[in-house]
Amino acid sequence: MKDLIKRLTFGSTLGCTIVLLLSACGPTRVPSGLVYCSEGNPESFNPQLVTSGTTVDATSQQLYDGLLDYDAKFGELIPSLATSWDISDDEKVYTFHLRQGVQFHHSDSFSPTRNFNADDVLFSFNRIIDSTHPYHDVSKTGYPFFQSIGFTDLIGKIEKVSDYQVAFHLNRKDASFLSNLATGFAVILSKEYADQLTKMNEQAQIDRLAIGTGPFRLIQYVKNDYIRYYRNKNYWRLTPEVEQVVFDITPKSTTRLAKLITGDCNISALPKAGELPVVIDKETLEVDSIPGFNVAFWALNTERIPLNDVRVRRALAHAIDKENILRAVYQKTAVEAVGMLPPLSWAYSSNTSITQYDPAKARRLLAEAGVTDLTIDIWAIPVARIYNPNAHKTAELIQADLANIGVKVNIITYDWSVFNQKLSKHSYDSVLIGWNADNSDPDNFFTPILSCASVESNSNRSRWCDPAFDAILESAKSTTDKLKRSAFYQQAEQQIAQQVPLIPFAHATRLVVKNKNVTQSKLTPFGGISFTNTTQAATTAIDERGIQ
Amino acid sequence: MIRYLIRRLNLFLATSLILFIVMFIAVSKFPVDRIAALTGVQQPTAQQITRITQDYRLNDGQISQFIAYLQQRLDGDLGLSSTSQNLILDELTAVLPASFELGFFAGLIAVLFGIPLGVLASLSTNKITQHSIMAITLTGYSIPVFWLGLTLSLWFGVQLGWLPISGQINLLYEIDSVTGFLLIDTLLSDSKYALSAFLDALQHIILPAVTLAVLPFTVVVRITRSAMMTIMEETYIKAAEARGLHTSTIVMRHALPNAFIPVLKNLGLMLGAFASYAMVVEVIFSWPGVGAWLVSGIYQRDYTVIQGGILSVALLIIFLSILIEIMHTALNPISRKELYAAN
Repeated sequence: MKDLIKRLTFGSTLGCTIVLLLSACGPTRVPSGLVYCSEGNPESFNPQLVTSGTTVDATSQQLYDGLLDYDAKFGELIPSLATSWDISDDEKVYTFHLRQGVQFHHSDSFSPTRNFNADDVLFSFNRIIDSTHPYHDVSKTGYPFFQSIGFTDLIGKIEKVSDYQVAFHLNRKDASFLSNLATGFAVILSKEYADQLTKMNEQAQIDRLAIGTGPFRLIQYVKNDYIRYYRNKNYWRLTPEVEQVVFDITPKSTTRLAKLITGDCNISALPKAGELPVVIDKETLEVDSIPGFNVAFWALNTERIPLNDVRVRRALAHAIDKENILRAVYQKTAVEAVGMLPPLSWAYSSNTSITQYDPAKARRLLAEAGVTDLTIDIWAIPVARIYNPNAHKTAELIQADLANIGVKVNIITYDWSVFNQKLSKHSYDSVLIGWNADNSDPDNFFTPILSCASVESNSNRSRWCDPAFDAILESAKSTTDKLKRSAFYQQAEQQIAQQVPLIPFAHATRLVVKNKNVTQSKLTPFGGISFTNTTQAATTAIDERGIQ
Repeated sequence: MIRYLIRRLNLFLATSLILFIVMFIAVSKFPVDRIAALTGVQQPTAQQITRITQDYRLNDGQISQFIAYLQQRLDGDLGLSSTSQNLILDELTAVLPASFELGFFAGLIAVLFGIPLGVLASLSTNKITQHSIMAITLTGYSIPVFWLGLTLSLWFGVQLGWLPISGQINLLYEIDSVTGFLLIDTLLSDSKYALSAFLDALQHIILPAVTLAVLPFTVVVRITRSAMMTIMEETYIKAAEARGLHTSTIVMRHALPNAFIPVLKNLGLMLGAFASYAMVVEVIFSWPGVGAWLVSGIYQRDYTVIQGGILSVALLIIFLSILIEIMHTALNPISRKELYAAN
């Protein structure tokens, strides 16, 4: 031990000398900008093509704008690229008046010659709904969010009324239509850029070298390393304060924290609950939190034997000690889920029947179903997500709970991209995953993850399709009366509690940890993080790392 | 001498051939489609399938397939990464310089600090100095590198906040890649932040380089010490002493050059261990080198990345070991003599 100390003193003397030498060379100057430690690689630079929060974070709020925005503070829709909109009396035609003088990004390969207009809106949405559109098949992954909400069936046609007016003709009433347009998935692309790429026969670039109207433009992406954005000087809202934003891709949560402490990044995503005390201890750091609009659940693949038996699914639901999960995994940063909807939602009701933790009943149900020696695989999502910072630990707790009722569990995990691929082949028994809402409409918690349409688009992880359930959702969408809709969604919750296609267990608080001199990074309870108004108080503060 | 060099070249070629054979057999055992394992193309079109089948002669016998495989690989065609769909060769050239940089700095630290300390240990008559130096090196030799890396980053990074512990540079500095070696590139950069960027990159390399240097450092100290002790007993040193030469002259001019020969030999023997240590260090410090790249490739089941990483690292180790052996022979009069006797 003595030798160890000696060796380390030697090391530290060496370290000190070098650090002193370095800092003596003069203060280091850092270019103006923000580094955000993000949790993973985006799968694409076009959020239309994905449902993953990581991609939405890296694209929607940075590179693009949608027709509408959602104001989280007041819970209402606000204008974005559309300045106003009219709804016809039968609620089937929505006419949007578009903002004039909005410029698309310039890049090395593209210089826009015209401003944003109706053609861009038509292009962006026709690409999704029209399967004969030349850009429809450019996406290899389809348009999962839009498929899961049945967008193609909903929209009859999109009509260009004038250069700055677009009308959406709906096939049926849909109370969640505007909310869906305000999600981070419904972004506006440039038609002029698409035309240029068609000429060059480089169509796939539209989703990689992204061009949008957003506050930042994409400069460079190096996989597993970083994404660099410069601010868009011609942004139609206030020009962003910071000159550049860099996403430092750091999948390990502890490394993100370490980078934050050493000043290599200013804001860091998705801390594990156990790391928060460390952040609170450091004087220079703080935690930003906002109650989340999300739900973490354990989806049971209802196509697999014996999970297709509702008694088995119910048994599993009774076997899980949710409180224990909340304590160990979330450590007070989440509330227990009684159903899909979080307490923040206007359709939430606390008296939804709770499935009690009751191992004895679970064992009885299993015996009734005649299931013995059951072994199931639990796939644990390998990356931290807003709704579940540590799925692997959750899986271990469930493993212990199920051991109590004599069910064996194998925990399976792969690296994120492999996990995602294998998940879409639906060869799993069950998966620990979750959903982070894209907008405040309660429909967002049901249609994209439990409807029959979402089985097709693979976002229904339970592979559960119940026409009765779909009918409830349809009725809920056909009226705008909040009270009536609330009642329908309560009914939907009941249906889920009885059929147990999935077992929800937590609504997590959305957290980021950041350096105190970074102000006003805008967190929304939904996906996405915006840096538009973010400033860094004094850049010198982080320069003094070597002397502290 | 030329015959000797040819023999070494033969050794290099033979070893590499065995490596390729092993890789070829391994590829056929990968649990994916053979075309994907060879080229990384995920959903090949009919056209691509025909071309790949032709290129790799997939319809022929094993030997013919192996020759085709060898041809492709020697042409520099390592396929595509199955996750990113970039050329493996491009990814490899992007990550190799960072590893070289780290390895070079670690080696430099090991030699610069190790040789003087080894000489000191051998010359010192003070038992305490001798024993403590030996104890320190033994401790250093036996500490697992992952533990050391984590401990150093905990102390100097997290608790003291002196040094960055992850990555190569603060990402706000935008450095164009000219040589691929970041420290050189920062100096070549015409940005007004060039000097700051250089210092920042230098700070980033300290902890990983020190962590990686511990193993070679301890070996250098121990070998230098034992070599020096043997040499100092030699008659020619005694003769030099008798002639009244100063101790420092004797050490610098007569003893050290001879002591360096076994050090070089041992550095050569250590290359394999050094490379695997470097991978661990790269992962701990998120150093964007070939080790971190290979490990992430393994996690992502990216079989072409795994092949590319193993091939390049193994070839490099074979090449460097042989190079060090040649240097050793060139420097060492005794083995030169053996060489002539053999011919």
